[in-house]
Amino acid sequence: MISRDKILRTFQHADSQFPSGAFAFSQGLEAFSQQQDRLGKFDLWNFLYAQIVHRWASSERIAIIRAHRLNSDLDALADLDAEVEASTISEPLRVGSRRNGMGLLTTHERIGTPYAKAYRGMVRDGKALGHVAVVQGFLWNALEIEEDGAVLMSGYQSAASLTTAAVRLGLVGAIDAQAYLTKILPVIAQVSCSPVSENEPLRAFIPLSEIAISLHGATGQRLFSN
Amino acid sequence: MNVSVQHSLALKSRIGAARVGIGGPVGSGKTALIERLIPCFSRRGVSLAVVTNDLVTAEDANRIRRSGLIDPNRVAAVEAGACPHTVIREDPTLNIAAADDLEARFPDVELILIESGGDNLASTFSLDLVDWWMFVIDVAGGDDIPRKNGPGLIKCDLLIINKTDLAPHVGVDLGRMEREAGEARNGKPLSFTNCRHQKGIEEVADRLMSEVLFR
Repeated sequence: MISRDKILRTFQHADSQFPSGAFAFSQGLEAFSQQQDRLGKFDLWNFLYAQIVHRWASSERIAIIRAHRLNSDLDALADLDAEVEASTISEPLRVGSRRNGMGLLTTHERIGTPYAKAYRGMVRDGKALGHVAVVQGFLWNALEIEEDGAVLMSGYQSAASLTTAAVRLGLVGAIDAQAYLTKILPVIAQVSCSPVSENEPLRAFIPLSEIAISLHGATGQRLFSN
Repeated sequence: MNVSVQHSLALKSRIGAARVGIGGPVGSGKTALIERLIPCFSRRGVSLAVVTNDLVTAEDANRIRRSGLIDPNRVAAVEAGACPHTVIREDPTLNIAAADDLEARFPDVELILIESGGDNLASTFSLDLVDWWMFVIDVAGGDDIPRKNGPGLIKCDLLIINKTDLAPHVGVDLGRMEREAGEARNGKPLSFTNCRHQKGIEEVADRLMSEVLFR
């Protein structure tokens, strides 16, 4: 049985109140919702589902699990970081992931999480890239959050950050957003069960979303980083 | 390992450039104030960098970069994710990272000005992000603003009331505004500026020199 202490720690680090910079990224949601005349009607559920199933489950989740299993081997984490970089075709997504990772490292360095300062130093020195999924995986391992817990935290945060962005953009009401979250959580639970082998490759392919990201800012409005 | 015990309060001591926040409502003159302060600090030999938090575009960052007043590489833009107060208060990590990056790229930098996106009177800066902060309002916003007791206006280290030249045109009594702002702030300092005509700017720079840079 998981201890109450560990459950509370999981709440703390899964909470959107934990400073990580994640609020500034919409993963193409803002761009897609602005480009409906070129890309077709924006549908929040379809967007959310695609992001969870075709990106998070097959890419970020894999990176988190592999980072978690590396047990703070910082050089091996840097190699995994390079793999995330190489497998993320869209530049705004790559840059956003690195900035988000650096944001998370910034907080963890200040509160003294093991290895955060050392890895942030490696990123600063150009020896690592600091993608957010890698950073989450190794920091949550250092905090003794189990692998399954880390995966579910990441899945929840990915979905919640998208619905939050949709609320801020006025695409959906705050209460309706909870209905979308309620609907996506079983999907997250289901795809989280898929086993991950050693050196499992990272895969993500949502072409319409990546086209939207490449057009981000074309309308003159850019509230989010990507 | 008991991780919860190992965690400590965030370290407050930091070696590096002083970080000064500039907050205030949309259109109050935050960017104009920075544009006026840059030459003041240049004359005083202070190595400067700027972080902007534009709300919707990169307008403010681009304006400062194109001003010719500062090396454009010393100006960083951080998106506010539709929430200008979040990026300076609840989650300032992207701004901290941007300031850290400027310090790493320009080791001589002594002062980093961090401009908030335009916000309401309740916006305040986290002291995780800045060492000292100003809040800019303007007379055209109404002389009743000090009476509204917004946390931004009350808690800042220096309140700036800008666009004083507009006072006669919008029926604002500057003396009353000063008195009421002083009462709301319990005597904490305030400055009147007119950025368009460069009035009051040197006094603001002098205050930053003495209270922030200790020079």
